[in-house]
Amino acid sequence: MMSSRWTPFLFLAPALAGLLIFRLVPIGVAVGGSLTGVSLMGDLRFVGAENFEYLLTDPQFWSSLKITLFFNVIINPLQLAVAFALAMLVFRPLPGLWLYRTLLVLPMAVSTGISAVLFGLFLDGNLGPLNGFLEWIGVGAQPFHRGQDQALYTLIGIATWKGAGYWMLFLLAGLYSIPSTVYEAATIDGASAWQRFRYVTLPLMRKPMAFVLVADTAINFLFFAPVYILTSGGPGGATSLLMFEAYRSAFTFSDIGRSLAISTILLGIILVIVVLEFRLLRSPEERA
Amino acid sequence: MEAQFKNPHALMLRYGLLSILAFIVVCPLAWLALASLRPQSEIFQPVSEFGWSTFFPSRLTFDNYRALWASDFPLAVKNSTFVAVTTVIFGIVVNALAGFAFAAFDFRGKNLLFLLVIASFMMPFEAIVLPLYVMIRAFGWANSYQALIVPEIANGMVIFLFRQFFASIPRDFYEAARVDGASWLYIFTRIAMPLSWPTIATSGLMLFLSQWDSFFWPVVAASNPDYAVVQVAIARNINFEQSDWGGLFASTNLAILLGTIPFLLVQRFYVRTLISGGIK
Amino acid sequence: MQIGRRQFMAGAASMAFAGSLGRAAAQSVTLSAPWMGWPENQVTPLMTAFEKESGIRISAERLPIAELFRTLEVRLQARNELPDVYLVDGPLTASYAARGHLLALDEMLAADRDRFVPTTLVQGTYDDKLYAMPLGASSQLLFYNKKLFAEAGIAEPASAPDQRLTWEDLLPIAQQLTKPEISQFGFAFENTNPYQLLPVPLSRGAEVIGPDGLTASGYVDGEGMIEAMTWYQELFQTHKVGPVGTFQTGVTQEMFGSGKLAMIIGGTWNLVGFEKFEGLEFGVAPHPYFAGGKQVTPTGSWHIGINPRTAFMDEAQAFVKWLSTRDAMNLWFDLRQYPPSLEEVWEERAGTTFVDPAWEIVRYELANTATPRPATPAYREYEDFLRTAMQDIQTGSDVSGALTQAAQNIDREMRKYR
Repeated sequence: MMSSRWTPFLFLAPALAGLLIFRLVPIGVAVGGSLTGVSLMGDLRFVGAENFEYLLTDPQFWSSLKITLFFNVIINPLQLAVAFALAMLVFRPLPGLWLYRTLLVLPMAVSTGISAVLFGLFLDGNLGPLNGFLEWIGVGAQPFHRGQDQALYTLIGIATWKGAGYWMLFLLAGLYSIPSTVYEAATIDGASAWQRFRYVTLPLMRKPMAFVLVADTAINFLFFAPVYILTSGGPGGATSLLMFEAYRSAFTFSDIGRSLAISTILLGIILVIVVLEFRLLRSPEERA
Repeated sequence: MEAQFKNPHALMLRYGLLSILAFIVVCPLAWLALASLRPQSEIFQPVSEFGWSTFFPSRLTFDNYRALWASDFPLAVKNSTFVAVTTVIFGIVVNALAGFAFAAFDFRGKNLLFLLVIASFMMPFEAIVLPLYVMIRAFGWANSYQALIVPEIANGMVIFLFRQFFASIPRDFYEAARVDGASWLYIFTRIAMPLSWPTIATSGLMLFLSQWDSFFWPVVAASNPDYAVVQVAIARNINFEQSDWGGLFASTNLAILLGTIPFLLVQRFYVRTLISGGIK
Repeated sequence: MQIGRRQFMAGAASMAFAGSLGRAAAQSVTLSAPWMGWPENQVTPLMTAFEKESGIRISAERLPIAELFRTLEVRLQARNELPDVYLVDGPLTASYAARGHLLALDEMLAADRDRFVPTTLVQGTYDDKLYAMPLGASSQLLFYNKKLFAEAGIAEPASAPDQRLTWEDLLPIAQQLTKPEISQFGFAFENTNPYQLLPVPLSRGAEVIGPDGLTASGYVDGEGMIEAMTWYQELFQTHKVGPVGTFQTGVTQEMFGSGKLAMIIGGTWNLVGFEKFEGLEFGVAPHPYFAGGKQVTPTGSWHIGINPRTAFMDEAQAFVKWLSTRDAMNLWFDLRQYPPSLEEVWEERAGTTFVDPAWEIVRYELANTATPRPATPAYREYEDFLRTAMQDIQTGSDVSGALTQAAQNIDREMRKYR
């Protein structure tokens, strides 16, 4: 097969066709829909920026935006750091390592919704074993998702419990693609373990880290099921993430236009943040 | 080279850390697994009676599992497995090809196309479900395996993953092969893919889990009882009027154990690839 | 064995009704019917019985409760011919009807209206038209743990509706039965839904929504509501007789079942549901009320409705019509014991199923005290914000602040229906 300028497009065609039909076109419809209002009887009408203007004057929107940004500022670096630490721990050979790896990835086979139900019971103030344990050791029961100050952090904890092992796998795959000769060279040069991590491992892990950070950011901005199942945005609005507002607008308030406007804003925010993350993690050559 | 890891203290530290972390992760699941073996009447133990009985049932019963066997859970497992495995097989090929194109070629519009690829997983599914549902109905796919599988094969996140890892293979490799007269398809199948086992394994897991955990789309697109899937079968145990916690725990426990099998199968691919020793 | 009985009943039902649907029997049509995710053996027999009789298949899609509402929204908003028929939660009738997702059933059921217990027809009605047919009713009872009452030497509450407890009587009993050292609580409501809690303000004579059904301010945060919800909060925060943070039916039921909760206000489903707790001996009494106030109980349950865009209008109507028959309703009661909506089922079973004092109470409540949730097309908005407020109030938020916030939010979302 001769190379031609069409070669890359032949490689891309099947995937792009699928994405175009099943994701990009619906996304286009949704973004377009954010400029419309649907009457109660289902009549569609163009309203321009009305939905966005409404949101800008809605205090609920601003409070949700703030909570969403705060949630993500904490959860994304946290999950990346935890996943990286786990990957380092399960990287080098160790007897019984397969068992530890398996235990760490078990939560990824629990769907997000079911993990929320499970933790709702596990953390329950009256029947949950964790509060039983905390009482037993004398710390006293905690409200967790029922407490205004603890709810958001509880959600972060649940998401990290589920996500850490999963993201670890990508970083582990990255660690295995670092040539061992690179380490050997560094060891001969007398570099300490920290120096090797800082100056050899980290720079070579840029691409896997960029993947994890970007993918995780998208997932966490769209974090939803546990809010819906455990807190309904409460207590006192403490966990009212934008995604929950988008959901409520469409499925409870029957205001599709507003819901799509929130989703479109989310898409915009994620894209901007992801571009920043790419810049943060690009290699020196790419920076040139 | 790994002198400090042979040091017994470092080894102990590593085992210690791993054990603590594994314990934290497994604890809720172990509680769940043990609770699934309890009789219905004592699934929960009150907070004030914390102790041995919080975790260990007074008597073991398999009633919850027996009830699952008699329900449509086996069918749901069969459906989910079929849907997930099919998605994995097609998904790896389709998305790896695209990821390779982004990593190995320079072409016009590349950055824009890549932006579209990553944007494809940044819209809430709830926002696109209505147009997607209308489309699937127009295709005549409502209540079919196609509806569950085809839309999920091309996956922006998996393309992105392949792109990141293919990009870390030096282009010299490809250039050398090109000079020898190899076609790009040959380079993809014989050079890039064999160097990427950990990535292939991981992307396979991603695709598998995206289907194994999927929930909302199956109830919208194929809610006919013949197409029941695992997560829906699990969630049915939760009911406004009465929840069957025993059924919920047993089915969740099985879903976790079954959903982990693919990881056990591909774990051996998490090793250094050939490339590791060969380049600098 | 059970299956055998059901099949027998199904067969009996089809024989009794054969003939009247002969027309439909000639075709082979499958109706799509989003249904609740009840266990299969509580759903399929009903569908099989109808199929045997009419030749029309019903594909009952058993969906988990949250997904049922979400999925219905997606399907209905697509405004095409699916689903053909669907389960309607009583208070959502107005919402679906106002958006043109329900077919008015008046003509079809004109001759049948009198056969229903009158209060059960209220929720399916919107704008004076019947849009959804009640498959049953619901009521709430006070369940109490006999053993805990005996241990504390407290007399069990009377089961006669005219001797029902007042909330003022209940509190000291609950206090006596609360033992923090062993995590035992005196009293709780099954959950925090307005369905369950609205009878508290209603008993005080409070109006919980404006007369137009579209005004919350002055009602949701009105004086009566604030007083009632302050009383509710004190149960948990001052008297500490209730377990804080229990918003979920599934959790309070387990607490009652394991003897950690002495009294619970819960639905009739518990009459069967509590049987799974081996050591539990429970009694039932009527729903309490405020001394000098009104006797009010919650009601409303699942309804069936027809998508006006269905491609199989005759078949969908035949199904709903069949569900209104005595045999179908009898079968349905055997599968899931909702208080029947047909008078004749009550009468027929008066000497057999309904000899239990619990059912006598329920029958009394349906005839006298049952008060449906507000009939407003904005019920989902109303419920969503009010539930959140009630949960926050239980965990200790400022009562008037939480209700004012809820009222403002509800009014904002109600604007579109005006």
